[in-house]
Amino acid sequence: MLNVLLVDDDAEFTDVACHIIEFLGHEVSVAGNLKEANQWLEHQSFDHILLDFMLPDGSGLHLIDDLKKSGKDAYITLITGHPSVKGMLSGLCGPKINYLVKPLQREDIETVLNRKSQKRATPNTSLHSESLHFGCLIGESPQMLALYQMIERVANTQANVMLMGESGVGKEVVAQAIHSASKATGPLVTTNCGAMSKELIGSELFGHEKGAFTGAVGKKDGVFVRAENGTLFLDEVTEMPIDMQPNLLRVLESKRVTRVGGTKEIDVNCRVVSATNRSVEELAEDKILREDVYFRLAVFPINIPALRERKEDIPLLAQAFLAELNQENGTSLELKEEHLAKLAEYEWPGNVRELRHAIHRAFIMSDPKTSDLALPSDFQSPFGQSSKSHATNIAAGQTIEDVEKELIRATLEQVNDNKTAAAEMLGISTKTLYNRLHAYGDFEE
Amino acid sequence: MSETASNTNIRTLIHDARGPLNRISMNAELVKMVIENDLPKEKAVLALEKIIVACQDCSEKLQDISNLQKDS
Repeated sequence: MLNVLLVDDDAEFTDVACHIIEFLGHEVSVAGNLKEANQWLEHQSFDHILLDFMLPDGSGLHLIDDLKKSGKDAYITLITGHPSVKGMLSGLCGPKINYLVKPLQREDIETVLNRKSQKRATPNTSLHSESLHFGCLIGESPQMLALYQMIERVANTQANVMLMGESGVGKEVVAQAIHSASKATGPLVTTNCGAMSKELIGSELFGHEKGAFTGAVGKKDGVFVRAENGTLFLDEVTEMPIDMQPNLLRVLESKRVTRVGGTKEIDVNCRVVSATNRSVEELAEDKILREDVYFRLAVFPINIPALRERKEDIPLLAQAFLAELNQENGTSLELKEEHLAKLAEYEWPGNVRELRHAIHRAFIMSDPKTSDLALPSDFQSPFGQSSKSHATNIAAGQTIEDVEKELIRATLEQVNDNKTAAAEMLGISTKTLYNRLHAYGDFEE
Repeated sequence: MSETASNTNIRTLIHDARGPLNRISMNAELVKMVIENDLPKEKAVLALEKIIVACQDCSEKLQDISNLQKDS
């Protein structure tokens, strides 16, 4: 339980907000202006102050100043009705100050008050917590704000979620956010369906009894059991062999698993968050996921935007990645305006992962004694859009594999990376095309 | 009225319109809370009445914005 001070001159708002804050299990006191707030603060200490930006006798910022001067310690959430001052407020924000924009929702209040307890639990977090949503997501673009809203909504339910998005957009981080925002008491268990051998996938998912197969020297719990009362994240779920999918369906429908080699059914209770980098169209056309399994997994599908669709988040992300590296290494390298502009120009086909790697590469190349980050002049990677201009380059002596790789690359360029169209042009199935891309490794992830 | 003064007034009116919107949002949350947790329905009725008043308030503020735009 927190002791909260709500400072706002709108009495109707404070009245209803008090009901909600008390319902959330906290104690709340109300001040209608700065004078009243100071009176409260003279006699009482508060864990968290929800502070209107514009008050009849001055700005909420005055109260922050007074608090600093008096050496009193409280988390502060500034509430503003001006979305345009968000930028200014975010500049003011420190480890103990964040902000909300009216109109507020219950989840907003819940999140800021909960965030306080998360901060207490992890005081040494390397990124400013106020810039992290759900303790792990960064971005203030409209696409990300919509994503946060979806996460909040679905986290309050038990619905299974399917995360869709290009490679590198941060599907695992979103799964972590859903788990953190939920009321789950169990752990988040992650498994990659693309990394498991066909022989062992049943054992990994459902567990096995001792002696179930050669090498099964002891009884093992599967991921469904390990994620009891928590969240199971099935990454690359569409890479699961189609003949294994009926077993998965059975568990999703019955909420019971049977260990490989066993007979006893075990009740399981976990939310399943799955992820794929295939589009819905590819799922339907290529039949890589059974329809019944899809509908069980994608009760609530979420599309995670590509980084090029939310370019305004690039500076925030880049700064956060650099801050993390600076903290780890005791350096003070900085991103200048021209660096940020350059980062924002690039398309980042490898998404957030590629951006993180680019910052890391630049960090390694920089002189740690200076503050200048040595960003390369060119961020080109095998994923780069600009590689589209490359001509097909086949020469005598190349291996068949190289030629095939070049042919696939050129075809994908021709059809703007549309895998289905490329497969048609090449006269192969989309699945075969994906298999080839995966085999090359440098086309995916 | 100069364009700058008019823009400032519109911004102020938009800011003022967020007040009733905020009350609508929070009272709607309260109604949801009452329903979800089987709390006394009188609380929900009171919150709904406040929502209706705030809607009228918001509508008046939007009308003010509209009038100002016509004048400018």
